Amino acid sequence: MSPAPPSLVELQTSLMDLLRRDASLSTDADASARAAEIATGNDRLTGVEQVDIYREQYFLRHVGALREDFESLAALLGEDGFDALARAYLSAHPPTSFTLRDLGHALPAFVAERAPWRDDALVADMARLEWAFVDAFDAADATKIELAAIASMPEDAWPLARVRLHPSVQLVEMAHVAEDYRSQARKLLAGEISELPRPEPGPRYIVVFRGSEKLKYIDVDRGAFALLAALRDGHALGDACERAAATAEMTEQTFQEALGGWFQSWTSWGWITALERAG
Amino acid sequence: MSFRKRHGIGDLGVGVGFRTKHYPHVLETKPAMDWFEVISENFLVAGGPPRANVERLKDAYPVVPHGVSLSIGGNAPLDDDYLRRLKAFVDWLDPPWVSDHLCWGGAAGLHIHELLPLPHTEAVAAHVVERVKRVQGFLERPFALENVSSYMTFRESTMQEWELLSTIAERADCGILLDCNNVYVSSRNHTIDADAYIDAVPADRVVQIHLAGHTDKGKYLLDTHSDHVCDAVWKLYERAIGRCGAVSTLVEWDDDIPEWDVLSEEAATARRLRASVLSRGASPRPVEVRP
Ligand SMILES: [Fe+2]
Repeated sequence: MSPAPPSLVELQTSLMDLLRRDASLSTDADASARAAEIATGNDRLTGVEQVDIYREQYFLRHVGALREDFESLAALLGEDGFDALARAYLSAHPPTSFTLRDLGHALPAFVAERAPWRDDALVADMARLEWAFVDAFDAADATKIELAAIASMPEDAWPLARVRLHPSVQLVEMAHVAEDYRSQARKLLAGEISELPRPEPGPRYIVVFRGSEKLKYIDVDRGAFALLAALRDGHALGDACERAAATAEMTEQTFQEALGGWFQSWTSWGWITALERAG
Repeated sequence: MSFRKRHGIGDLGVGVGFRTKHYPHVLETKPAMDWFEVISENFLVAGGPPRANVERLKDAYPVVPHGVSLSIGGNAPLDDDYLRRLKAFVDWLDPPWVSDHLCWGGAAGLHIHELLPLPHTEAVAAHVVERVKRVQGFLERPFALENVSSYMTFRESTMQEWELLSTIAERADCGILLDCNNVYVSSRNHTIDADAYIDAVPADRVVQIHLAGHTDKGKYLLDTHSDHVCDAVWKLYERAIGRCGAVSTLVEWDDDIPEWDVLSEEAATARRLRASVLSRGASPRPVEVRP
């Protein structure tokens, strides 16, 4: 493969820098000079204005894509507030994927770390929840197994068995009771309510998943949540139960008593796709 | 023999883009429509509703994928992950051709999701030709390049856009997706002759035509796909059909998407115009093929 023509590399490198500037190119003498070197302009637009059209489109498209994926975060922060977040995020995490679907992947971590957003835990809650919706929506398909398949496993095989969760299952720990915040945000956008009520403090353990091609979520016990997390991380069932009981500060007995009910619900929701015996 | 004949590319009629707003109506009632185009990237996902929807669509209509992320004119190596996923999708869909744009959309590891124009130079032509050959070979499927709407012109350019497009298509031996609205938008933005553009494109290589609406921003036209096809673009379409013959045509509508009936009527208008041009006996004129 022959390398790209040097003049093309130079032009594209320069434009990539100019198009990601957060302010009109005409406000910066150096940027203007560089844009004018590249674009001819015409009788209506200068070369700088021509390049600026693409720069504006870059922000419109990417801020717009983030706004679509994080609509309750946008409602929480307001028009200008979300715009400021999106621009700061784009500057720290410029798009590297061929698809806009991946654009917001680092936003949950970004708002958890960056001031001023890190100061409001609800911002991080919403970013995590809404990104879980994105991931659950188009996660791989998998066939669920029935409770009977689990019940038929001999008891001595349980501790070393591995439970495979449906790829759409996303675990979101939240500091607020805010899993319904998106529907509130949509009501606000539709003008049905005039302000967003601030959610009560949590904690809240939410599982987002796809059931019958629709996105769903449900809040679960802390113990169930901890067990799902351990199973997702690949721990065998016995080990996972021990870890989860410790995390949830449950005695082994209460944990074991709850287990049957959890598995019953999880299989009915299609969260379990395989139960693999050791060896 | 023409590119279309060599690859057995027939006429699918007039179709529309498959967009979320119309999924329920299209998938549940299967309204009359010749064919659909899907944006490839929207379906290069692991699973879930996108894949299920395109599968249902494929069961009822011819479906052709149209990409926006190839960045054929970029200086970075072609994105292997993207190409592998596209190939798997295309193999599954089994369309008569695959298309993307004559543009670039990123560099140095970034994808900026724009259809940026390229300087019209010999060096760019050579660069793109080599990449089109690789893409077409990898996908094992006829590949078509679409002309984009543009808002800037480069000091470096030494030829017209249609010369760049035609040169690349001939040398890389690929197809062309002729977007009449893009020809119009660029011709207005850069004061070039749209008729001359249509007349210069190698007719035997045109496998598909796009029609769409745009927005007048005062000092320039913006390719928004948010409106009806304008009269001037219909004229260009008639001219293109007159030259190219019965070429599969697609109406793109991506913003302010109207009700299905409005979109369907836009396709019907294209169908009527196309039929009337074709019935005038305006069979494709002999096209001079460069040696
Ligand atoms: Fe197009």
